Amino acid sequence: MDITHETVPPPPTSLYRLAGVSKIYRKNGRDIPAVRDLDLEIRAGEWLAVQGKTGHGKSTLLQLLGGLDRPTAGRLEFAGHDLATGAETKIRKVRATSFGFIFQSFNLVPTLTAAENVEAALIPLGVPHHERREKTAAALDSVGLGDRAQHLPGELSGGQQQRVAIARALVKSPDVLLADEPSGNLDEDTRDEIIGLLDTLWRERGLTLILVTHDSAIARRAQRIGVMARGRLSIRQDTRA
Amino acid sequence: MFFLTYLRRELRRRMRQAIFIAIGLAIGIGLVITVMGASSGVKAAQAKVLRALYGIGTDVTVTTKPTPPKGAQGSVPISSGKATPGGPGGNGSHAQACINGKCYTSGTIDTLDSGDYGPLSSTTIAKIAQLKHVSAAAGGLVLTDNRIVLPTGSSSRLTPPTSVSVNGTDISHPKLGPLSNASLTMGRTFTAADKDAYVAVVDSNYATVHKLHVKDTVTLANKKFTIVGIVTQPQASSPPSVYIPLARAQALASNPATGKSMNNLVNTVYVTAASASDIGAVQKELAHLLPQATITSSSDLASEITGSAASAAKLAGALGRWLAVLVLIAAFAVASLLTMAAVARRVPEFGTLKALGWRSSRIVSQVLGESVATGIVGGLAGVGLGFAGVAIIDKIAPKLSASIPSANGGTGPTTHVAGGPGGASLVSPAATHTTIAVPMSASVTVGAIVLAVLLAVAGGLVAGSFGGWRAARLRPAAALARVA
Repeated sequence: MDITHETVPPPPTSLYRLAGVSKIYRKNGRDIPAVRDLDLEIRAGEWLAVQGKTGHGKSTLLQLLGGLDRPTAGRLEFAGHDLATGAETKIRKVRATSFGFIFQSFNLVPTLTAAENVEAALIPLGVPHHERREKTAAALDSVGLGDRAQHLPGELSGGQQQRVAIARALVKSPDVLLADEPSGNLDEDTRDEIIGLLDTLWRERGLTLILVTHDSAIARRAQRIGVMARGRLSIRQDTRA
Repeated sequence: MFFLTYLRRELRRRMRQAIFIAIGLAIGIGLVITVMGASSGVKAAQAKVLRALYGIGTDVTVTTKPTPPKGAQGSVPISSGKATPGGPGGNGSHAQACINGKCYTSGTIDTLDSGDYGPLSSTTIAKIAQLKHVSAAAGGLVLTDNRIVLPTGSSSRLTPPTSVSVNGTDISHPKLGPLSNASLTMGRTFTAADKDAYVAVVDSNYATVHKLHVKDTVTLANKKFTIVGIVTQPQASSPPSVYIPLARAQALASNPATGKSMNNLVNTVYVTAASASDIGAVQKELAHLLPQATITSSSDLASEITGSAASAAKLAGALGRWLAVLVLIAAFAVASLLTMAAVARRVPEFGTLKALGWRSSRIVSQVLGESVATGIVGGLAGVGLGFAGVAIIDKIAPKLSASIPSANGGTGPTTHVAGGPGGASLVSPAATHTTIAVPMSASVTVGAIVLAVLLAVAGGLVAGSFGGWRAARLRPAAALARVA
C-alpha cells in the first residue's frame, strides 16, 4: 500500500508583532491619541494596505512600523527587534538595513543627482564606493531610469522622482517597503505606473509591502486591507493564503 | 567622497548665503590681521627705539644716581670779558673756568664726564653676572666729552662749549650695550687688541657732520683717538657719537663725586636674562642685590616712551583689538544664525536621511563640513583683506614720533657761561628726552595668518555646531511630518 504523504507548508512567519500599541501625542497640554491599543501581526512577504481618513493615524502607524517613532504604550517587534523600547542605535541599524521608505513628496535631496540620492541609502551600510555605484545603477535600471542617473530631482517629472525614491528604497534590498501615499502627488496615469511597478517589485522580490493610501483602487491590489478610524485598525479584506 | 560631493552641491545651492557668511568672516578676519599688522608695526617701531637705546641683547640696565659733587665740583663756572681777574662770575678781563675745583684762565678744557649716573664697581658686574636668572652682564660708561676753548689775549669772545656723547664699550662683550645694535658701514669694529688702544668707532651721523673718515682722529679728554670704524644705528635712535674701549674711557673719565678717574668703575651695566620670561626675576634679583640702583627693563623704558608711536600702540592695542573682536563676534553670530536657518529649511532632508539610517553624527559632520568650508573660504578672503588693509596702512599711515628718555647721552656737568655776548646762559649738553621720528612698517606675520585660519575654522565650527546641534536633535518622524 502506497502511503502518500502530503507536504505541509511551513507556517508563515510573523515579521511584525504589535500588541496593545498606542501612540499619544501631547499638544497644548492635551493628549491626542493617534493610534489606540493596536494588535496586529504582519507576515513576511505580505502586502498590507492601510486606508483611512486624514488624521486618523495611518501615517503614525507607518512611522511606528518603520522605526521612525516609538509607541507610547504596547509592544512592537520587528523580526525579533524591539522597536518600542530598544536602543536608538539598534533601531537605526534596523532602519538602515531592513526598511525602505517611499514618501508622498518623494523626499529626494534636491542637490544630489538621481544616482547620488539612491547611493545615499547605502551610506549607513558602509558599502564600498565601487559597489555603491554598481548597486545604484542596477536599482535605477530596475525602475527604468538608468538613463537619468545624473539628473537632479528638479530635472525629473513627479513620476520619475518617485521612481528614484523607489530605487532608493530598493537599493539596499530591504525586507519591508513602507510607502506613505506613494501616488498622492501624481496624476492618474503616473499613479498606475508607480503602483504597477510596486506590484511587480513586490511579486518579484518577495518584499513585505505596507502601503498607506486613500485610494481604494490601489488598496484593492493588496492582500489585506486595514482601515484606520480614530486610531483603531480594523481589517476589511484578507486574501492571504 | 560622498561627503565632499554632498558638501559641494549644498554649498553651490546656497551660494549666496555661503558668500554672505564668508564675506562676514572675511571682514572680521581681515580686520584682525590688519590690527595685528598695525600693532606689530608699531611694536616693531617701538622695539627699534628700545634696541637703539639698549642694544639688541640687553634686557635690563642697571644704573645708580650720581652722588652730588662736593662744593663747586662738577660745575664749570666760566667768566670772561670784563670779569674781575680770578673772580668767577665777575667782570675781569680774562675768562676763567673752574672744573672739579680746578680753575683755568686760558687754553682748552676737554673733560670726559659721567654726569647722569653714579659709579658702579667692576665687582658689581661680576656679582650681577652670577645671579641665577642672568645670562650675561657687561659694564659700560655713558659719558660726555665737554670741550671749552677759553679766549686768549684781548679777545673777549667765548666760543660756545661743545659736547660729544661718548660710550665706553666693553670689548669683551660685543653683544651687549649700544654698539651691539650698530651696523658697520666702514672700517672695522673693536677687537680684543684694542682694549687699551686710543681707537674709536664713530656714529655715521656724527662722522658726516664732522666730515670724519676711517683713520682720522677725534679728540676726547685732550687725547687723540684714531677712528677705526664708522657705524650706523637704527634710524629711530639717539646713539652715542663716539665709542671708545671701556678701559680707555675709565682711565680718562672723571668721577663727578671725587674728581678722580673712573678706573675699575662703570656707570651702566647691561644685563641679559636667561630667557625672556626671566626678566621679571632678574629685576627682583637685581633689586635685592643693589637696593639703591635704578633697574630698567625694556618694558619699563617702553612705558616711558611717549608721542604718536605710543598713542598708535595704544590705539592698535586697545581700540583696534576690541573692534576686531566685536566684528568677529558679529560675523560668528551672523554665520551661526544663517546656518541654523539653513538647517531649519533642510529639516525634511535631514529627516529623510535619518529615515534612511544615517547617524546623527554623520548629519552633524555634514553641516559642520559645510560651515567649516565656508569659514575657510572666508578665512582665505580675510587673509587677502588683511594684506590689503596692512598695505593701505603702510601707505597712508602718518610718520610716528617717539619721545624717549635719554639712556645714552650723559648730561655731564651743567656748564654755566657768564659774561658772554648774550650774558649768562645755561648750557646743557644733552636733553633728558629726545623726540625722534619712528618709521612704522605694518606687516602680516605668519602668526597672524595661522590665527586667521584658526579663526576661520573656529567660525565655521561655531556656526556649524549650532546648526549641527539642531540637526542632531531632529526626530525623523517629526522631521518628515514637516514635509506634509
